[in-house]
Amino acid sequence: MTERELDTHLVTILRELESLEYRQTSPRRVRIDVTREALPGLLELLKGRASYVHLSAISCVDWIEDNEFELVYHLWSYESNHLVSAHTRIPRETARYISVYDLYKPAAFFERDIFEMFGVYFEGSPHMEKFILTEWDGPPPMRKDFDAEAYVQETFNWQSYHPDWLKELEEEGGGVAIRPEEVRR
Amino acid sequence: MSDIKYKDKGSILNPLKTLQFFARKPVTEPLGPRPATETYRGFHLNDWESCIGCGTCQKVCDNAAITMVHVPEAKEDPIKGIRPLRPAIDYGRCCWCALCVDVCPTAAISLSREYVHVCTEDQLDSYFMLPSADGMHGTPYPEGWTKTPTTDLVDLEREEMPELEPQSRSDNFDEIVAGYDAQHALLEASRCVQCGMCHDACPTHMDAPEYIRSIWEGRPEDAVRWMYQSNPFSHVCGRVCTHRCETACSIGHRGEPIAIRWLKRYAMDAVDHERVKQIAAEGRVQVPTGKRIAVIGSGPAGLTAAFDLVKKGHEVEVFERLEKAGGMPRFGIPEYRLPYDKLDQDIDVITSLGVKIHYQCEIGKDRSMSSLRDEFDAVVLAIGLQLGRSTRIPGSEHIQVKAAVDLLRMITLREPFDIPKSAVVIGGGNVAMDIARSLARLQKQTYGEVQITLTALEPRDQFLADPVEVKEALEEGVTILDSRGPQACRIDDQGRLNGLCTWRVLSIFDEQHRFAPQYDSSDEQFHEGEMVVEAIGQMADVSLLGEDLTEALEWNRGRLKVDEAGRTSEPWLWSAGDCVNGPDVVHAVADGHRVAASIDACLATQDLHEV
Amino acid sequence: MRPENYQAQSHPPSNEYELFIGPNHPGIEGNYAFKLKLHGDVVLAGKADGGYLHRGFEKLMEGRLWIQNIALVPRICVPDPVPMEVTYSMAVEDLCGLEVPERAQWLRVLQLELSRIAAHLFTFGGHAATTGMYTTSYWGIADRDLILDLFEALTGGRVYHIFNIPGGTRRDVPPGFLEQVSQTLDYLESRLPDYDNLLFTNQVFITRAKDVGAMTQEQALEWGVTGPNLRATGLAFDVRRDDPYLVYEQLEFDVPTEAAGDAWARAMVRRAELKQSFRILRQVIERLPSIGGPVRAPIPNPLAWNVPAGETYARVESSKGELAYYAVSNGGDKPYRVHVRGPSSMHAVQVLEWLAEGARLEDVAQIMFSLDACPPEVDR
Repeated sequence: MTERELDTHLVTILRELESLEYRQTSPRRVRIDVTREALPGLLELLKGRASYVHLSAISCVDWIEDNEFELVYHLWSYESNHLVSAHTRIPRETARYISVYDLYKPAAFFERDIFEMFGVYFEGSPHMEKFILTEWDGPPPMRKDFDAEAYVQETFNWQSYHPDWLKELEEEGGGVAIRPEEVRR
Repeated sequence: MSDIKYKDKGSILNPLKTLQFFARKPVTEPLGPRPATETYRGFHLNDWESCIGCGTCQKVCDNAAITMVHVPEAKEDPIKGIRPLRPAIDYGRCCWCALCVDVCPTAAISLSREYVHVCTEDQLDSYFMLPSADGMHGTPYPEGWTKTPTTDLVDLEREEMPELEPQSRSDNFDEIVAGYDAQHALLEASRCVQCGMCHDACPTHMDAPEYIRSIWEGRPEDAVRWMYQSNPFSHVCGRVCTHRCETACSIGHRGEPIAIRWLKRYAMDAVDHERVKQIAAEGRVQVPTGKRIAVIGSGPAGLTAAFDLVKKGHEVEVFERLEKAGGMPRFGIPEYRLPYDKLDQDIDVITSLGVKIHYQCEIGKDRSMSSLRDEFDAVVLAIGLQLGRSTRIPGSEHIQVKAAVDLLRMITLREPFDIPKSAVVIGGGNVAMDIARSLARLQKQTYGEVQITLTALEPRDQFLADPVEVKEALEEGVTILDSRGPQACRIDDQGRLNGLCTWRVLSIFDEQHRFAPQYDSSDEQFHEGEMVVEAIGQMADVSLLGEDLTEALEWNRGRLKVDEAGRTSEPWLWSAGDCVNGPDVVHAVADGHRVAASIDACLATQDLHEV
Repeated sequence: MRPENYQAQSHPPSNEYELFIGPNHPGIEGNYAFKLKLHGDVVLAGKADGGYLHRGFEKLMEGRLWIQNIALVPRICVPDPVPMEVTYSMAVEDLCGLEVPERAQWLRVLQLELSRIAAHLFTFGGHAATTGMYTTSYWGIADRDLILDLFEALTGGRVYHIFNIPGGTRRDVPPGFLEQVSQTLDYLESRLPDYDNLLFTNQVFITRAKDVGAMTQEQALEWGVTGPNLRATGLAFDVRRDDPYLVYEQLEFDVPTEAAGDAWARAMVRRAELKQSFRILRQVIERLPSIGGPVRAPIPNPLAWNVPAGETYARVESSKGELAYYAVSNGGDKPYRVHVRGPSSMHAVQVLEWLAEGARLEDVAQIMFSLDACPPEVDR
C-alpha cells in the first residue's frame, strides 16, 4: 500500500476548525479528536464538503476510570477512499448526546444500540427504545460496571454431572480437584 | 453487466432439458457417520503417560469446559513436576476450538476424528468425560487435530542470558551472568503458563507463578512482594539457587524451562534497595511480644528464622562466629557466582527489621549454650556444615591436602596462602567446581596459566554438579576426569606433596545401593599437583553444644534428632538448615521458616523452660 | 419478545391489521421477527424485531483473553464465518504491529473466497425458496456442502473453522488440498448453467424478483447500504479493491454491478460475484505453491499476551457487505472493547423496514433474503 495523500477538501476542513486534532494513522485511516460541541459541525462539513457520505459505524467505549464515554464516528469517503474516525468524549454521568440521524440515516441503528448497551441517550434519534434486549430490565450491560460473568454465576446453575467414572474415582479417594470457574480471571 | 439474457423467454423445449438429470449421479449422503478428515477436531484424546496434570488446558479453555480431576492411580512427583490430575471435558460447553491441544506443554492432548455422541435426557452425565487415549466410547479412532510445530503455542526456547566469555572471566572474580534487562525479563516471564509446578517443587514453596506474572505485567515491586512472602534470601536464591522449580517446570518437558531463577534475580535487581526494605517490612507485627530468641549462625536458615520471628514481634539476636554474616553463601560460594554486595543487601533487609547480629561471637567459647538457654525463650541452632570430610587415603593428612570449604573461606576472607602452580581437586559436586574454578582464577592471576585436575568418582553423565558449572569449568581450563577413585597422595623424599594417584572406578554402589566403590587397580593414573583439595562433602561441627547438652540431646546416626518442625529433644532448642538437611540454600530458607513458625506457635502458648 | 409477553392490542375497526412473522421464519438465516402493519396484502409499515440471537459476544470478548476470542467470532455470522475470524485477527495484528507472513495472507484469501462462495450459494437457495422454488435451495445447500468439505480438510471444522488467529493461520494446507479445491471449483463452475436454467433465466423467478424491494443508488448511499446490495444499485464499490487488505491488490478481479437495485439485481450481482471468486481462487491456487515461508508469525504465549494500548478499525468485504471490527486495548491481556459492525446491521433492520413499506406480503420474505439479512450479526 503506497502512502496516499489526504484529499484537499478534508485537509481544508480540518485546518479550518479549531478544537480538533488529527493525525493519519495509516495510509487510509485518519484519526480526529474533537470536542463534543464541535463534533456535529465537523460531521456536517465532512459530509457536505468532503464527500464522507458513508457512516460506517458509531462505536462507544466506556472509560469508567475517566468517568467518560468515548464515541467514535467512522466515516468513509467513496471518492477519496479514506476512513475518518472522529473521536469525542462525553461525561458518563449525564450520558446524553446529540443524534446525527439528520445527517446520517444509519446513525439511528447505532445510536439505538449504544442506548441499549451503554445507556447513552441521543437527543433527536428516532428510536430511543429497546431493540435487542427487549426483556432486560437490568443496567445497560456493556457498561464496565456490569459484571456479566457474576450475573451468570448468580442467575444460572452449572450442569451438575456425576457420571459413573467420577463416582469410582471418588471411592478411590480422588474426584474433582479444580473446577473451571476457579481458574477464570 | 449481466451476461445472461433474462428477457429471453426461452424455448418451449426447455422443460425437456431436465430429462438429462436422470443420467446424473444423485447427491446422496450415507446414513452412517462419514470418516472425518485428517485434522478433524472431534472428541479429545489424552495420553496419560505424557499428561502431567498441569492444568494449562483448563486455563486456555475459553468456555470453561475443563475440570481438573484427581486420579489417585496416576503418578505424582512434585520434584519432576507431575500431578495426579487429569482434564475432564464437559461436552455441553466444549466448542472444539483445540486451543487446549495447541497450548498443552507436553503435547499430551489431541482431538480425535470421532464426532458422534448421542444420548437421551437421562444420560446427560455422559457429556462429562475423562478422555484417555482410548477415545470417547472406548473405540479407538485415529487422531485428528494434533500438535505440530506450526500449531504449537508453547514457546520452547529460553530468552538468551548474556554472560562473560571464558577469556574475559578466567582471571577475575567478576560475576559471570549479566542478568536480564527489563525487556528480556518480560519476554522470558511471558513464556510461563502459570501451572504452579515450580511452587510445588520449591522447598520453600515460593509463589513463582505470581511473581513471574507480576514481571510480565511490568510490576517488579509486586514480584518482590511475592518473593518476600516466602524467601528473604531472594538475591542469593536469584543467583545460586539449585532451582528445583526449573526442573519441575512444565515447559521443560519438551523445551527449555522458564528461567525462574534469573527472573527472581531480575526483579530483585530492578527494585531499589530501600524500597525492598519497605516491602519486606510490610505485615510486621507492631506490638512487641516480649519474647527473646537466640539464633546461632547467620546463614540462610538462621537469618530466615530471625526474619520471620522479628516480623512476628519477637526480639531476635543472632550469634555469628566469623566477622561477617551470610554463612555458606558468603564463605562457600565464589564471588563470580554471587557478588558479596548482593548478599549484603539481603542481610541488610533482615537487619533493618531489627535483627541484631553479634559478630565474632563463638558459642562454646565466647558464650555458652547454657547462658543462651537461660537468657532467651528459645534457641535456634543453624550452624551449617563447616568441616570438610576427608578421603582418609594414605597421605591425606599432609599439610598441602586441604578441605575445599576451608580454602573457599580463606579466599572470601582474603587470607593469604601459597597459590599452588598445580592442584588436584577430588570431588564431582558443586563445591568441587567452586574450588577448582576459584583456584584456576588465582593461578591465572598469579602465574598466567591454569593447571587444575579434577577427579570425580562418577561418570560424566552422573555428576552431582550443575551441568553449567561443569561446562564453565572446562571453558576456564580445568581438566575434568570422571570415574577416577583417589587412592593415595604421593609425597616425595623431602616430604613435599607431588600429586594424587587414582584408579578407574568400576562401580560406586553395591547391590544394596550402599556406597562401596569398586576399582580397576590396573588402570592407575598419577595427577601432578602441589596441592590436593578434598571436596567430597561436609559435616557439622557440634562441639559448641558442650558435653552436658550433647549428652542430654537425642541423636540419630551422629546427627541431631529433630521432629518435623525442627525441634530437638530439648524443648527450648530448635535446629535448622544444612546441619539438619545437608547442603542446599533454598532448603535452608524453607527450614528457617519452619522452625520460626514452630517457635512462634509454641511461644504463644507456653513457657518453654517449664515444659 | 417472548410470545407469552406479547399483549394483543385492541384497535378501532379498520381494514388494517398487524402480522407478526418470526422468530422462526423461512425468509432469514437464524431467528428474527418482523412486525407488519398491513392493509389487505400491502405492507403499510414494517418493524424489525431482533434480539433472538443475542449472545452478548461483545461483552463476552471483554472477559476473555485475546486468543480465546477466536472461538467466539465465527459465531457472529454463521453462514459466512471466515471474514469474522480474519477481521478480528487483523484488528489484533494491527494493535500489536504483527506482520502476517505472506503465505498466511494468501491462505486467508483462499478461505475468504471459499466462504463467500458458500455464503452466496446459501443465499441463492434461500432467495429462490422465498419465491417458492425450493429445488434451488436444495442444490445450493448440497453444493455448499462441498465447500464445507474443503473447510473440514483445511481447518478440521466444517462450520466454525477457528482457523485464523492473530499472526496468521493455525496450519498450512494439507497435502493435495489445492488439487481438491481446483476440482470443486471445476464442478461448481459446471453447475452454473444448471443454476441459470433453474433460477436466473427462469421467467417465474424473474417476474417475481423484478422491481421487488428496489432502491436507488442515492437511497442506498443514504441508508448506509454496502456490499452486493449497494453494487446492485450501480455503484462499483468493494472494500477488497478500494480499501485493500491482505493480498487483494495482487489479484485480478472485477467488481460486478447491476443498475436496477431490486431483488433480482441483487441476485444477479451475487451470481456474478461467484464467478469472480472462482477467478480469485484460481489465481490463489496458481500462486500459493510458489509462496514459501511460515503461515504464522511467532506470537506470545496466549496466556500472557498483553496487547499494546491502542485502537483500530479493521475492515473487510464479507459476502454481505462491509464488515468491521473496532478493537480497543488498554494494554491488557483481554480486549477493552470490541465493536462488531456487521453489514446486516444496516440492511437487516432499517433498510428492510423501509423497503418493506408498500411491498406486498408475499414479497416480504423475498426482500429479506435478497438483502442477505443475517440476524446473528445484528444481535451479536
